[in-house]
Amino acid sequence: MMEVSPSTVSFREFGCEQTLLSRPDGSASFVQGDTSVMAGVYGPAEVKVSKEIYDRATLEVLVHPKVGLPGVRERSQEQCVRETCEASLLLSLHPRSSLTLILQVLHDDGSLLSCCLNAACMALMDAGLSMSCLFCGVTCAISTDGEIITDPTAAQEKESRALMTFAIDSKERRVMMSSTKGSFSVHELQQCITVSQKASEKIFQFYRDSVRRRYSKNL
Amino acid sequence: MPTDTKRVRGPDVSQSPFLFWSRPAEVLPSHEPRADGRQRDQVDVRPVFVRCGLVSQAKGSAYIEAGNTKVLCCVYGPRETERKDETDMKSGRLTTDMRFAPFSCPERGSWIQGSQDKDFSLMLQESLQPAVCLHRYPRSQIEVNVMVLENSGSILAHAVTCASMALADAGIEMYDLVLGCSLRQDGGSYVVDPTYPEENSWRSGSREKRGGLTVAFLPSLNQVSGLQSDGEMAEETLTAGIRTCIEGCYKLYPVIQQALIKAVRRAAPPAAES
Amino acid sequence: MAAGFKTAEPLEYHRSFLKENCRPDGRELSEFRTTTLNIGSISTADGSALVKMGNTTIICGIKAELANPTAEAPGKGYIVPNVDLPPLCSSRFRPGPPGEQAQAASQFIADVIESSEVIKTEDLCIDRGKLCWVLYCDIMCLDYDGNILDACIIALLAALKNTQLAEVVVNKETSVPEVDLEKRQRLHIHKHPVGASFCVFDDSILIVDPTAEEESLSTAHLTVVTDEEDRLCSVHKPGGTPLSGEKLQECINRATTRQREIHKLIDKVLDSVKTSQ
Repeated sequence: MMEVSPSTVSFREFGCEQTLLSRPDGSASFVQGDTSVMAGVYGPAEVKVSKEIYDRATLEVLVHPKVGLPGVRERSQEQCVRETCEASLLLSLHPRSSLTLILQVLHDDGSLLSCCLNAACMALMDAGLSMSCLFCGVTCAISTDGEIITDPTAAQEKESRALMTFAIDSKERRVMMSSTKGSFSVHELQQCITVSQKASEKIFQFYRDSVRRRYSKNL
Repeated sequence: MPTDTKRVRGPDVSQSPFLFWSRPAEVLPSHEPRADGRQRDQVDVRPVFVRCGLVSQAKGSAYIEAGNTKVLCCVYGPRETERKDETDMKSGRLTTDMRFAPFSCPERGSWIQGSQDKDFSLMLQESLQPAVCLHRYPRSQIEVNVMVLENSGSILAHAVTCASMALADAGIEMYDLVLGCSLRQDGGSYVVDPTYPEENSWRSGSREKRGGLTVAFLPSLNQVSGLQSDGEMAEETLTAGIRTCIEGCYKLYPVIQQALIKAVRRAAPPAAES
Repeated sequence: MAAGFKTAEPLEYHRSFLKENCRPDGRELSEFRTTTLNIGSISTADGSALVKMGNTTIICGIKAELANPTAEAPGKGYIVPNVDLPPLCSSRFRPGPPGEQAQAASQFIADVIESSEVIKTEDLCIDRGKLCWVLYCDIMCLDYDGNILDACIIALLAALKNTQLAEVVVNKETSVPEVDLEKRQRLHIHKHPVGASFCVFDDSILIVDPTAEEESLSTAHLTVVTDEEDRLCSVHKPGGTPLSGEKLQECINRATTRQREIHKLIDKVLDSVKTSQ
């Protein structure tokens, strides 16, 4: 196993706020540097008959870009976030009901998909939905000289040779979701996964801190 | 125009290279033999290749190939009607959807269904409906989906034939098969089962007595279930044309029957004789 | 009896096969369905291919048109891939605009084209800043029985290899393009990306090339796309149950052998098409 020096796992400033919207059942905003995503969860609520699943809840994810209408790219992001949430949520606890997760992009400065995943996870937690594990998103960029950059900015993304986003679960630090761009070797992939797993610890620690901070205030 | 957000978008405008082809399009002569060697003024249909049951997911399916015209049809159902307000207690509903693949014509088509596709869907539905025993399927719908993979003329006629085969393959009760045949009148002479250039050649000149005709025909009942004609034709030419088309349908009939028998044999092989 | 068991308890039915390391259609866990290829069958398209993997059938037709390049990228053409899942291919799809699955597949194919550099958009430039080619790659499913992503990539690659572009000369004086459709040139294919898809059953068992039924019962999907230099062009896993690094490595190894097989198949079919002409 290769050593990952801690210097490679660096993040921009994190920020998170939960329960900031009053209408949804759960909400959160997640900020990674200048990238910022707001998430709202509605449900469990009544489901449309056509979308009803008899033994579990139907989860719908909507990604709204900062400007314009959602297009094909957003649809693909929705699919990634939805299937990740489906795997961690205990949907069978709410049969024949609907869950809706809305992600509003406030600003995109790189690592958007990972920020969406983080915001989604925080919002699901805030909604009090039962989950088998938590998940977090990490984006890695491989620069032209082979360096791995975690949580890249939009400029770094543009210069990079390859870009990978992973969702890591909190139980065994395994890969739940993977979405890549650009071409890379198997070794580079394994390296990026290792880096992301390392990085996920930091994010989960941040999750824990922010939830603790919130509840210590409330009590 | 609203932008299509559900597909990968290309440039706003693009033009077919055909527009810039320096060679002028040749005008098809109206007296010489046809480009593919078939005879004018005779019931000379293109040889067809037909096959049933190609699509595993469908209840019934059929594929027809005549010259370069390639049509695939799938039938789903009978199943519950989707829209409850349209449920008919006494008889079933036959829905048709005919689409052209974007690469099926010389000029690229759009993914969005145009008015032409809708017209074809409607004509297809009207031609098929009299042949299907819809009263046997109360409160349900039967879906007929036709996809044109390559359009090389007489598309409606072949779509009708293909759809009726798919219905038969799906085991939907029918009074008879529906066969289609097209004809294009060109002044005093006519061509049966015209190709795409033959169908569109009239655009270059504007002579009178030019028109197209498609007949949907029930061969064993000897009845016409659908008739579509455009252009300008005298009464006698039209009746003569319909007769020619019916003759064309009869030429097709044994081929279609053979294909269906083959499909049935494959689905249920005859018991070994002991 | 078996048919009743299959309908009533599909998951148990599949599990009973997987326990014996085989699958209901008689395949082993890491066995692909028979893949057949038909290239150049649509004469109205500039390039076309039909792929059959078991029952799954995908057709890809490529149409080339002329357009103006964008101001940001004056030396580049366009590639516009779209995947369509019409109601014809399975009863699970409704008529109307493409659904989420079709849209995600279109985006995936677009990403693979960009990541693998199968063709460079620079090659599609005719006159810098003035004229370029647009390749509309329309991919359509005719029979949906699982694993359409793999089949789409094969169909696309084979159709691109079959595509011939007409010769275009831009008239210096009038700056009107003159097209000669008789003189045609093949596209330059830089890479040969091929995908291999996997399904995870019960969080642990990996099966390759899933059918539609296996797809709907499984807990996660994974598609690995590799090229002939063994570089990965895409590792696409849209969620689902987590996967360990070792399992992922297994998938990558299977994907590289698959790339060789399909690359050979495409070349073989293309040769037979050329000799028959």
